[in-house]
Amino acid sequence: MKRLHRVLIAMVGVIWISGCVSHPQTPDEFRKAVPSAFSAKVETFEVDRPFNQVANTFQKMGPNCLSKTIKTTSQTRTSYQVIVTTYRPTVLVTPKKAELHVQFHHDQGVIGVGKEPEGGYYLLVADASPVNQTKTRIDLYRPSMGHGVLIQAVKNWATGDNVGCPDLTK
Amino acid sequence: MNQHFARTSIILASLWTAAFLAGCSGQKPYQNTPDNNLHVRTTADSGSWFSSVHAAVDIHRVTIDCRTEYEGTVQLSRPTIDVGIPPNRWSRLVFVFSSSSFLGNRSGSMTYETLLKPRSGYQYQVKVTYKDDMYNVVVRETQPDDSTSREIEHKDLRSCQAKSIERSRVTSNSSPR
Repeated sequence: MKRLHRVLIAMVGVIWISGCVSHPQTPDEFRKAVPSAFSAKVETFEVDRPFNQVANTFQKMGPNCLSKTIKTTSQTRTSYQVIVTTYRPTVLVTPKKAELHVQFHHDQGVIGVGKEPEGGYYLLVADASPVNQTKTRIDLYRPSMGHGVLIQAVKNWATGDNVGCPDLTK
Repeated sequence: MNQHFARTSIILASLWTAAFLAGCSGQKPYQNTPDNNLHVRTTADSGSWFSSVHAAVDIHRVTIDCRTEYEGTVQLSRPTIDVGIPPNRWSRLVFVFSSSSFLGNRSGSMTYETLLKPRSGYQYQVKVTYKDDMYNVVVRETQPDDSTSREIEHKDLRSCQAKSIERSRVTSNSSPR
């Protein structure tokens, strides 16, 4: 099932690219592109947690968990595939907003088409902003298919429940 | 005679292959120090019948100039394992979670690394968990003859600078933190 997801995502990516839609080159372009993109969506929710705690968790967990190079291998009777992907997190914090950007770059196994932003294609952007002393609003610009573990991890960092690192090989 | 020769050849070939593979894997068992100061509690559950996850920790020595020297691997195949890490010097612990799926014949591994400089006489509890495709490593330090403990902040090799390592080494030699 996960493999089917990956194939679908790859196909959607190819269609996106062949449709001459350029890849977002900045977090702002990504935010603007997501609402109308076929394979991405915006999710907004509030968490019962002060903004500074959410920002601290983004700052702690983002680099610790997502600054990784992942190698996965898959093998069938007729094929052997190795994919190496480097993820790059960026966390920006101001008194009014905390941003987590996740980019990825395929080092091996996937041919990139189109202009890739510096640091890799944008995969996810999470914006946290204070609602009041105890609540924080999260705007999550994320893929609508696949990458469920990453999305769940970022949600957990926001809520503070089950805070851990996502297994990016999944 | 011919049969004996053939059997001997097979055994020799097997031994040579085993030795070759052992050498090529690059992994070696970690030689514990007598301290047994690191108590690792591992819970690893892939959450599926069709996949498995295995945890291990690679232990590296960190030199003054922030280079690392691989010292060995401890397989975290039991729920609790005690490891001896040399006190008063930096070690780099790289926790490796290797997962494989039988259905899709897929495999991959994730690593989580942290630097640790155990203090003499102190005990370190490491909680390693992998559940629902999420992993976590928490290191806590317990003082001698005291049940209170504190969480050790994650520190990776990027934060290592020759001066800071050297400074902390001197500090630890003169008076424990």
